[in-house]
Amino acid sequence: MKTRDYVFFVILLALAAAFPFMGVPRYIIASTLLLFCYATVVSQWNLVFGIAGIFSLAQLAIFAFGAYSTALMGRYLDWSLWPTFPIAGAAGVIFSIFIGLACLRMRGIYVALLTLAISQTMFVLIQTDSDCSELNKAINPSTCVAFTGGPQGLGDFGTFGWREVLGGRNWMMGDYYSMLGLLIVALVFTAAMTQSRIGLAFKALRDNEELATSRGVSVFKYQLIVFAASAFLTAMAGAFYAAHFGSVGTNLVSFPLLLFLISMLVVGGIGRNWGPLLGAGLLMVADEFFKEFSDLRNIGLGLVVLLFMIFLPEGVAGAIESVCKRLQRLALVQHIERRLTAALRRDSAAPD
Amino acid sequence: MNFFIQIIVSGLTFGAMYALAAVGLALVWGAFNMLNMAHGIIMTLGAYFVLVWAEGWGLPLWLAGPFAFLAGGLFGAGVYFVSAHWMLRQRNFEVTIIIATFGLGMALEAGLMKILREWFHASPYAQPLSMGADSFLINDVPVSYQRLIIWAVAVVLIALVALFLTRTTMGRAIRATAQNRDAARLMGVKVKRVYVIVLALASALAGVAGIMLSSFKDVVPLMGQTPMLKAFIVIVLAGLGNMAGALYAALLIGMVEAAVKVLVADKWGFLAMLVVVVIAIIWRPAGLFGKHQIARQ
Amino acid sequence: MAETLLSVQNLYAGYEGQSVLKDVSFDVPEGGLISMLGPNGHGKTTLLRCIAGLLRPTGGQIELAGRRIDGAEAETVVGLGVVLIPQGDMLFPDMSVYDNLKMGAYLPRVRKTFDREVEHIYEILPRLKERTTQLARTLSGGERRMLAIGRGLLAGGRILMIDEPSLGLAPIVIDQIYEIITDLKASGRTILLVEENASRIIDLADRIHLLDTGHIVWAGDGEELQNNQQILETYLGG
Repeated sequence: MKTRDYVFFVILLALAAAFPFMGVPRYIIASTLLLFCYATVVSQWNLVFGIAGIFSLAQLAIFAFGAYSTALMGRYLDWSLWPTFPIAGAAGVIFSIFIGLACLRMRGIYVALLTLAISQTMFVLIQTDSDCSELNKAINPSTCVAFTGGPQGLGDFGTFGWREVLGGRNWMMGDYYSMLGLLIVALVFTAAMTQSRIGLAFKALRDNEELATSRGVSVFKYQLIVFAASAFLTAMAGAFYAAHFGSVGTNLVSFPLLLFLISMLVVGGIGRNWGPLLGAGLLMVADEFFKEFSDLRNIGLGLVVLLFMIFLPEGVAGAIESVCKRLQRLALVQHIERRLTAALRRDSAAPD
Repeated sequence: MNFFIQIIVSGLTFGAMYALAAVGLALVWGAFNMLNMAHGIIMTLGAYFVLVWAEGWGLPLWLAGPFAFLAGGLFGAGVYFVSAHWMLRQRNFEVTIIIATFGLGMALEAGLMKILREWFHASPYAQPLSMGADSFLINDVPVSYQRLIIWAVAVVLIALVALFLTRTTMGRAIRATAQNRDAARLMGVKVKRVYVIVLALASALAGVAGIMLSSFKDVVPLMGQTPMLKAFIVIVLAGLGNMAGALYAALLIGMVEAAVKVLVADKWGFLAMLVVVVIAIIWRPAGLFGKHQIARQ
Repeated sequence: MAETLLSVQNLYAGYEGQSVLKDVSFDVPEGGLISMLGPNGHGKTTLLRCIAGLLRPTGGQIELAGRRIDGAEAETVVGLGVVLIPQGDMLFPDMSVYDNLKMGAYLPRVRKTFDREVEHIYEILPRLKERTTQLARTLSGGERRMLAIGRGLLAGGRILMIDEPSLGLAPIVIDQIYEIITDLKASGRTILLVEENASRIIDLADRIHLLDTGHIVWAGDGEELQNNQQILETYLGG
């Protein structure tokens, strides 16, 4: 991270904060806040995947775990949702520690397969949850709702509650700034993590694995720390998602959403500082433009992921970086050339 | 006693299907460290190829199986040429190919859904090759003829694959490539051809596995997803790249699923498999039957 | 001397930006035995990998009988007749000795004559015949080297490259292996031999090149090498 990055970050932040006052339609606000939510998840995933080198596909499962935690607490304990957010985050951390202990000692490829299987297990368990739950009978005896809501999903557990505070016209603003706040925390956390001792250890590991391990960098311990820490904000993002929509469903652990998030990660650039924001932004904009062709959406997303992995595996951020580097080198070469010719001219002009 | 027979009968059937799906995955991983996430959609397509052949085109049903086998194989070769072929030199090939084929698989699946909505208005469909519920009894437990056919087809196909790998020049080249890629190239093995052939073979087997799966449930667009993940679990349990191990692991996983299904409930099957695999890997890091590749760091 | 079969000109190569070979040039004449000598880690194996097509050179060219082969894939190069018996043997560990030999005769040009040729190999290397059904992974170090040589011989070809045939073996096994190499030379095979141990090749090689940190620093025949006290002391420990 350079000073330029921080300046850029502050400008973006100001723009995002002012955005709702620029007279944009309400549905744009709604998709932008969703963008913040996904960008939060992807930024944490990038930390896990790109920085710590853990090829985990459980990010979505942790996100859904957070969403369901908040939904279940809101519904069955009848709590306001705000106190459930940190609890959902903590639940996500515990969940991820279990996953991490089971998977992280394994080679990358096994981690990918097992974490994907864990996500699918979650999907299957919720999808097939059809027994009427006693807890629900206590709320409404006349209906049969499963504990997790099953394939129909779960609602009626509350929202952020901005409608009561800001009124029916402006509640979306509340949701918007709540999400933006979460994203800012996530980005700051990511930057801090990247530059912490742990982040530097991973950088050393990427540059020279043998050296780093001989210096006693314990890969497993550090990976588990990053994995668990990133789960907190991921699960929080899930909780915020639930609070915004007021309902959760199995689509939160489904392959299409996984594809959408992977495409953000891939298009942005895995392991790049600006990757998640760039990826989430580009994908959300593209999604908005191609709304009419919604039945072609997953075809397009799938092909985008495929093509990026083939031709641009370092993503848009990576491509920009390498173009900048090339330009800088070019500028440097030109600079040296100018100095050399100037020097030569001086030499030849000087009297013998 | 009866539920014991029930578990065996059902477990052997699951095992046979998973074996067909997993042996191919193990073969492809062994040859060039590729995990094909489009494997699931190819299973699904196998089932649909039968529909297209028999009901769409009205061609003789007994040839539908071989057609699905061949079409699956062609599809597998296609997967190679639109993904792996361009990525072989990437440094993180193992990882990038998973993401790339995941994207490809999702695109194919969405494309399939779109075509199906136009071709076959209603979905799900019944599998034309299914023999229905006709059955005989073993000690009061009904065993359908369908299962007998599945077992027979699986055994014959796997025996043929084994013969191919051990007795033919190309088979030997495939094994050589899996055991030492550079050495195989030094012998003159055109490894890219090997990659295409193993992917085609794996996908052909996946197509047949798809028909088997759909003969119990119906033919639906998303039917391949969960079985693909189960096949991945099988090869992880076996130790990646270990083909013989994949067979045993498929039977074991099939039995676990059947036992959970009979004794507890269907929906816990997947979780039970996952737990079995995680414990197995912690206990034996190279996989239950693995020799070479260590799963744990 | 006979016509040049393999010609390496100004070859550069390396791994991940580090150059290992720098401006290496030499010729291998038809029917000759040319040797590369030098301490470990100075590019000998890299050189053979480059010629065999396992590694793409970063500069220079390699010609086989006037035809450029640099940059070609290993499977193509061996088809043209350049056979490498690699360092560390690179056997197929889970295949039997017989199947390993059969892989040696994978190319169509030698596949048909395998049954006859393998008998010949068993004559030269009788230990392999005793072990035909055994898996390669269960062989001893000497047997592995024999199998690698037998497998390489079955591939036929116009030039045989052998990478450190004596590495890590007992002296008695090394003697056997050099007997085979001597016989091969006598039968007219073209050989490019990489060695660390000068004493084995001084009488055998037609020409010896000394490779030091990626450069060829000296070339001459065995007699010249023996008389060059300075080279012997600097590079080969006297």
